[in-house]
Amino acid sequence: MSEGDSQPRGEQIKSVATAFRILEAVRTRDRVGVTELADALDLPKSTVHHYLSTLAADNYLLREDGTYRLGLGLFTLGAQARTQERIFHVAKPNVDRLAETTGEQARLVVERDGHGITLYQAAGENVDDPPTYAGRVEDLHCTAAGKAFLAELPEDRLDELLSGHPLPYRTENTITDPSELRETLAEIRDRGVAFDDEERDAGVRCVASAISDREGELLGAISVSGPSDRIDDERFRSEIPSRLRNVVGVVEFNTTYSEWSDAV
Amino acid sequence: MDIGLVGLGKHGETHAEFLEELGHTVHAVDLDPRVKERFVERFDARMYEGLPELYSAGLDAAIISTPNKFHETAAMKAFEADLDVLIEKPLAHDLESAERIAEGADDSGNICMCGYFHRFRNRVQLAKAYVESGRLGEVTHIDARYMRRRGVPGLGTWYTSREIAGGGALIDVGSFVIDLVLDFYDWPALEQVIATARSDFGDRSDYAYLEMWGEDDEAKMYDVEDSVTVFLEFEGGRTAHLELAWAANAQRCHEYNIRGTEAGVSLDITNPLESVDPSAEQVRDFRLYEVRSDVVDHYVDSEVIPPANDPFRDELATFLAAVETGQSPDRCMVQQALAVQRVIERIYEATDRTWV
Repeated sequence: MSEGDSQPRGEQIKSVATAFRILEAVRTRDRVGVTELADALDLPKSTVHHYLSTLAADNYLLREDGTYRLGLGLFTLGAQARTQERIFHVAKPNVDRLAETTGEQARLVVERDGHGITLYQAAGENVDDPPTYAGRVEDLHCTAAGKAFLAELPEDRLDELLSGHPLPYRTENTITDPSELRETLAEIRDRGVAFDDEERDAGVRCVASAISDREGELLGAISVSGPSDRIDDERFRSEIPSRLRNVVGVVEFNTTYSEWSDAV
Repeated sequence: MDIGLVGLGKHGETHAEFLEELGHTVHAVDLDPRVKERFVERFDARMYEGLPELYSAGLDAAIISTPNKFHETAAMKAFEADLDVLIEKPLAHDLESAERIAEGADDSGNICMCGYFHRFRNRVQLAKAYVESGRLGEVTHIDARYMRRRGVPGLGTWYTSREIAGGGALIDVGSFVIDLVLDFYDWPALEQVIATARSDFGDRSDYAYLEMWGEDDEAKMYDVEDSVTVFLEFEGGRTAHLELAWAANAQRCHEYNIRGTEAGVSLDITNPLESVDPSAEQVRDFRLYEVRSDVVDHYVDSEVIPPANDPFRDELATFLAAVETGQSPDRCMVQQALAVQRVIERIYEATDRTWV
């Protein structure tokens, strides 16, 4: 690592920040070569090379045919991070059961820094190739779990998230107008269930419900998603919401009484 | 005495009320801050953070009235702490959990009672005495009904969650009925079960809340049956027909028709726990149907009028007396509660759990 990179920047160590920028850039590209990465990050090729080989030496990256992809060292960290989330243990069996009863993709999503992260997912029998993966990061405004989170946030925190942050367009159904989003969030609060009707990905519908503890703290959300031709209106508006409400209610009870149950 | 209450919902509150009246010290724990807060407002109890703290507070006994799924942990830890235990009915949310509780109670040698309080009702005790004395001849059939018109308990709370409660109307009101039928028959082996379960009301937005029991929380969970029709055949060809419902478009009732070869009994205990016996709409509490042959063959229909009592309170007094003397009570012991749970499981198996 070069000298210059390790200068503290505020309370951040610049070299650490750069290492994570590089990891993040590799993640978004699946696999990438030194030149492409140096161009994208506007860093000297030699510096990028230095970082890449350091990270590869510790298994955080994997070098293959002159390109780099994420290494399983990151999986070790991520998997360990996940086991430390209490909601993961309490919700996991219920997400599995939800996937089994709906036949679709069920997920446990948590909110971090204004994004949704899939903490765990299970595929039902209708799902051949799961379109998402554990660890995936998504925008909040265009996903069912994300809107379920936003609906639970106190007003000031919501203002903070919506002000100065545009709501990126994804499909023709994406809500990009903040006041329209606020109206939708009010409906979600009343109903306890959030819908994503092809708002993030065309042809994909998703239903989600937020999980809170008894003190009102938001713990996560559980969602069920699938292709619109399989999730017809009856399943989308009635069957899946009803199953979700059951599961989220159970998870909330198990969370409250986790010391008195075998769930943890 | 120093009594620990685990689970401070409606049943926990009723126990606390009676315990305070009787001059006992109440020690209490719940993990739900909202439930705790409500309890603290009403009672002058010593509050604890968790089971380890509660169970090491020098208690004489513990009363467990948590949601069904959590009975087991609370009970097992109580046995470990060498405490006598009263568990609200049903014993557990499923048979496996109930078996572990019964085994834990046996291993520890502590008293373990289960709260099937209707057995402490004077009229029920008298009916049982009539059966035992042979006054009815041989009992061959019992027709039992426990039906509410609109009485899903706390629609949307844990009572309506299969995972937390273990089931719906059958495990809730049905377990009372099974307990009494088994007791009238003196705990016979079950041979055959035919049963159908339905879920017709839970998801209906037009559900009329006429007889709410417990609270209406956020209406989240509903994946249980709200009515069950059951036919049971016991050893020796003795039978029972059960109609159990939280919600049904039928007359509200809680009654037992016990048919013997010499006489029959009809026992109406429709009064809800909250009301004072007898309620205005109750026309026949307890009748004995006989035939005599003095002068001419004739029917004798007698009204039997035992004094009313509060069975919930008498159950608690029985438990406390047992704790004090170390002598097991004569009813509602854990092995009988386990037998009830076995019949519940057989009935659920017979329904194939097809209503959800």
